[in-house]
Amino acid sequence: MNTNDKSLNLVDSANDFHKINSRETAISINNVEVSFSTPKGKFTAVKDISLDIKRGEIISLIGHSGCGKSTLMNTISGMVLPTSGEVIANGKVVKGPGPDRGIVFQNYSLLPWMSVYKNIFVAVDSVFKNKSTDEKHAIVNHYIEMVNLTSHKDKLPSQLSGGMKQRVAIARAFAINPSILLLDEPFGALDALTKGSMHIELLKLWNLDNRNKTIVIVTHDIEEAIFLSDKVVVMNNGPAATIKKIVDINLERPRNKKAIAHDPEYIRIHDELLGLLFDKFSIED
Amino acid sequence: MNSFSLKNSISNALYFIGSMLVLIGLWQLVTILTKNEIPGPVATWQVFMELMSEPFYDRGPNDKGIGNQLVSSLIRVFSGFGAGSIVAIPLGLLMGSSKTGMKLLNPIVQILRPVSPLAWFPLGLLAFKAAEGATIFIIMITSLWPTLINTAFGVASIPDDHKNVGKAFGFSTWKYITKIMLPYSIPHIITGLRLSIGVAWMVIVAGEMLSGGVGIGFFVWDSWNALSLERILVAILIIGTVGLLLDKGFNALQNAFSYNQK
Ligand SMILES: Nc1ncnc2c1ncn2[C@@H]1O[C@H](COP(=O)(O)OP(=O)(O)OP(=O)(O)O)[C@@H](O)[C@H]1O
Ligand SMILES: [Mg+2]
Repeated sequence: MNTNDKSLNLVDSANDFHKINSRETAISINNVEVSFSTPKGKFTAVKDISLDIKRGEIISLIGHSGCGKSTLMNTISGMVLPTSGEVIANGKVVKGPGPDRGIVFQNYSLLPWMSVYKNIFVAVDSVFKNKSTDEKHAIVNHYIEMVNLTSHKDKLPSQLSGGMKQRVAIARAFAINPSILLLDEPFGALDALTKGSMHIELLKLWNLDNRNKTIVIVTHDIEEAIFLSDKVVVMNNGPAATIKKIVDINLERPRNKKAIAHDPEYIRIHDELLGLLFDKFSIED
Repeated sequence: MNSFSLKNSISNALYFIGSMLVLIGLWQLVTILTKNEIPGPVATWQVFMELMSEPFYDRGPNDKGIGNQLVSSLIRVFSGFGAGSIVAIPLGLLMGSSKTGMKLLNPIVQILRPVSPLAWFPLGLLAFKAAEGATIFIIMITSLWPTLINTAFGVASIPDDHKNVGKAFGFSTWKYITKIMLPYSIPHIITGLRLSIGVAWMVIVAGEMLSGGVGIGFFVWDSWNALSLERILVAILIIGTVGLLLDKGFNALQNAFSYNQK
C-alpha cells in the first residue's frame, strides 16, 4: 500500500498510481458454482466462474435479469457460499460476511423501525467498536450529508422514496469504510440527475482513499458500467450462467460524462456491450 | 382526515350504545320469559348501585366490598400473567430463533396448551401448599401459551432481509437481539400478551371459585350460596367490562408499537 501518495488533488493526477496490473489481488473467484436446492431439485444458478479482481479496481457485472449477478456478488459478500470452488477476499477464503466488505443490497434492506440516522449509526456502531460515540456520530453525519439526506435523517424508511432508501443503503455501506464495496444495482431507483451525482460521489470516495477500495457493481445500465468501471463482466443467461466475456474499459480517468460520450473508444465499447447483451440486436423491420 | 376520524368515532359510539340497548332488550325478554326467575336489568341495576355505594367496605375476611374483590382478582391475574410472560417471552425468543428448538418444543406446547386450568389446580396446591399460590399458578400456566406461541412465530418469521443486515454489518448477538429480533417481534409479542391477558381473566373466576378467599370469582360463588342472582349478574357485567378494558389497553399498546402503520 502506498501511503505516501497523498495526492488529494481529487480530480485525478493519480492515473499513474492506478496501474492495475502491478497491484495485488483483492478478490479471487476460483471455479465457483452455486446451486440451490429447490422443491424441484437442484438448481444451478452460476457455474465455472473464475475472476480475479485487483485492489482498487472497479468492476461491473452486467447480464439479463435472473442470470445470477446477485448470486455471484453474494458469494463475495459471504451471504451465499459456493457449492464448489472458493472465493478469496483480502487474502482470506470467504466463509461468511464481514465488515471488510460493505454491501448495498438490491432491496436496500433497511430496518423499518429505525430512522435513517439510526439505520446508519447501528452499522457504524457495530463495526467501529473502538471509536468514541462522538466519532461515530461524526461519521454518520458525514455520510448522510454525502447522500444529501440531512434534512430527512429522522424519517423512517417507510416515509422515504425508493431513491432515498437506496441512498441510505449506500451511505450505510460507505460509512463502515470497507476495503471492498459490493453494490447490487445501487443506483437503479434513482433519477438520472441523482444517479449522475452519486457516480461522482462514488468516484470521489474512491479517489479519497487513493483508489484503494475495490468496488464491484451489479447494474443493468451500460453507460453507467462504462463510466465507472475498469472492467465490465458480461454474464450469459442462466440457468447455470457463466461469464460470457470480460471487457476492459481503457478510458483515461478522470472521465467526464459529457465528453466521454463522443470518445470513439467509448462508442466502440458501448456497441460491443450492446452486442454481447442482445445477440439479435435489431428487430426485423 | 380529522373530521373523518371524528365522524368515525361518533358512529362507533352510537353503534356501541345500540348494541347495549339490544343486550338490555334481550335480557328483559329472558326475564319476562322466565317469569322473573332471572332478575331483569332494572333489579340488577338497583343491586349494582347498592354495591357501588360502598365498594371498598371491609367487614372481616368473608365480607368485603365489590371493589376489594375486583382489586384482589386483578392483582392475582397480573401476578399470574406477569409470571407467565416472564417465562413465555424468553422461551418464545429461544424457540423462534432455532429450528431445532421449535421442532423440539412445539409438540410439548401443543399438548399442554389445551389443558383446562382446573386440571392444573391440584398440581398447584401440591407445589405451593396454599390456595393462593395455586390460583396464581393456574393463571400463569394457562395464560402463557399465547404469548409463547406468538413470540416464537414472530421471531421465526423475521425476514432474511433483516437478518442479512445483522450479518453484513457484523452485529453482536446482543445487538442482533435488541436491534433486530426484539423490534421485529414486539408487535407479535404484544398480540400474544393481549390474548394471554384475556385467558388469564377468564381463568380467574374458575380459580377463585376453587380457592375461595377474596376475589370476583369467589364473590360469584358466595352470591350463589346467598341465592342473590342480581349480584351474580352484576359480577358478570363487571367481569365482562374489565375484560373489555384490558383488551382495549393491550390493543392501544399494540397500535403504539406497530411501526409499519405510522
Ligand atoms: N435462495 C435461492 N433459492 C433458489 N433459487 C435462487 C435463490 N437465489 C437465487 N435463485 C435463483 O438463481 C437465479 C439467479 O438469481 P439472481 O438473484 O442472482 O439473479 P440476478 O442476475 O441478480 O437478477 P436481477 O437482475 O433480476 O436482480 C435465479 O434464477 C433465481 O431464481
Ligand atoms: Mg439481482
